[in-house]
Amino acid sequence: MTSLHPAEAARLLVEIPERGGSVIVATVVGDNQFTGNRIALIVIENEEPELRGSLSLKSGTDSVIQLMKNILEDPRASDGLHELTVADHLSEVYIELRRPVQELVVVGAGHIAQPLAHLGALLGFQVTVIDDRPEFATRERFPSAEKVIRANFSDPFRETPLHTRSHVLLVTRGHKYDYACLIRALRMDPPPAYIGMIGSRRRVRATYVQLLEEGITHALLDRIHAPVGLDVGAETPEEIAVAVAAELIMVRRGGTGASLKGVERIVERFFKEDK
Amino acid sequence: MTHDDDRSLTQALEAAREAGRRCALATIVATKGSTPRKVGARMIVDPDTGLVGTVGGGCGEAEVIEAAYRVIETGKAQRVNVDLTDDLVSWSPAVCGGVMDIFVEPVSPEPS
Repeated sequence: MTSLHPAEAARLLVEIPERGGSVIVATVVGDNQFTGNRIALIVIENEEPELRGSLSLKSGTDSVIQLMKNILEDPRASDGLHELTVADHLSEVYIELRRPVQELVVVGAGHIAQPLAHLGALLGFQVTVIDDRPEFATRERFPSAEKVIRANFSDPFRETPLHTRSHVLLVTRGHKYDYACLIRALRMDPPPAYIGMIGSRRRVRATYVQLLEEGITHALLDRIHAPVGLDVGAETPEEIAVAVAAELIMVRRGGTGASLKGVERIVERFFKEDK
Repeated sequence: MTHDDDRSLTQALEAAREAGRRCALATIVATKGSTPRKVGARMIVDPDTGLVGTVGGGCGEAEVIEAAYRVIETGKAQRVNVDLTDDLVSWSPAVCGGVMDIFVEPVSPEPS
């Protein structure tokens, strides 16, 4: 076996996450004869981990592989440099890590769903749009979606089962449809990554009353992001979609949702007025 | 890098390979201070078709492109340190106040 070609490594970084797996690529970038040598480790659930390529080292490959395994287990790990002894010399190894692609499931294909699907795709989500109306659930209306599905709201996730990488956005045309989908999403174990539901305070309250009557606990209710999105004063469908997309980023990256100006206060901190 | 960035980069690498063209791949492997792009950002320099992706634009990127041409010619990978800390008052997009460590490697059309 020889070093993994950069084009092959690049392809793995795209394809494995799309298949729901994780992939990690290690490249020797220290200044030595092994510079540019690459291997990849592929980990797909319920499958044996698979190694691609070879670093062609006399020694040290095992420690690189161990490093890759450790990084894979660290949920906060990201791309970066690591120092390692490679073939008896201290060298640098650059790591690239890709986790399974996250999925955005937009339930309801109305006017807010269109900019939402578009923004979701821009943010790297694999987007699925579901509606029961054939004239709304069309490819033409959602060119950037991976899948557009016509399904009854009483069993909306039959064709595309939810999983822990699913971000579910309920934007159907009516409270009763949201409710049917919501209760399915809430009863999932393990739960999906995100559940958001559009609606006025009244509509959200009415839904929660119904859910509590069904025996859904307060803890579960608290998992729902409703009304959906960050408070930016959004009015139009496009503005609402941006507010929702911002919330998705916040959940993914662990942000606060506050304005950075207020967080940094640069004028106040660095440019005090002389009195 | 978003998934879409990963995709377009892969397509560009494969296109160069299929056409039998030699190109260079630049990757930001480390940064200090604030930089326009973060660790993981990648750019392909293909002498025939130009650039795919970006490592931040401006003068810093120009240095990387120069290095990429050397790397394609010699076939030898190189580390480039791009310093964006000088001249903080100019309005150039390269002025961010940080330093980027970039690995530039040759990509041959043959299997390695």
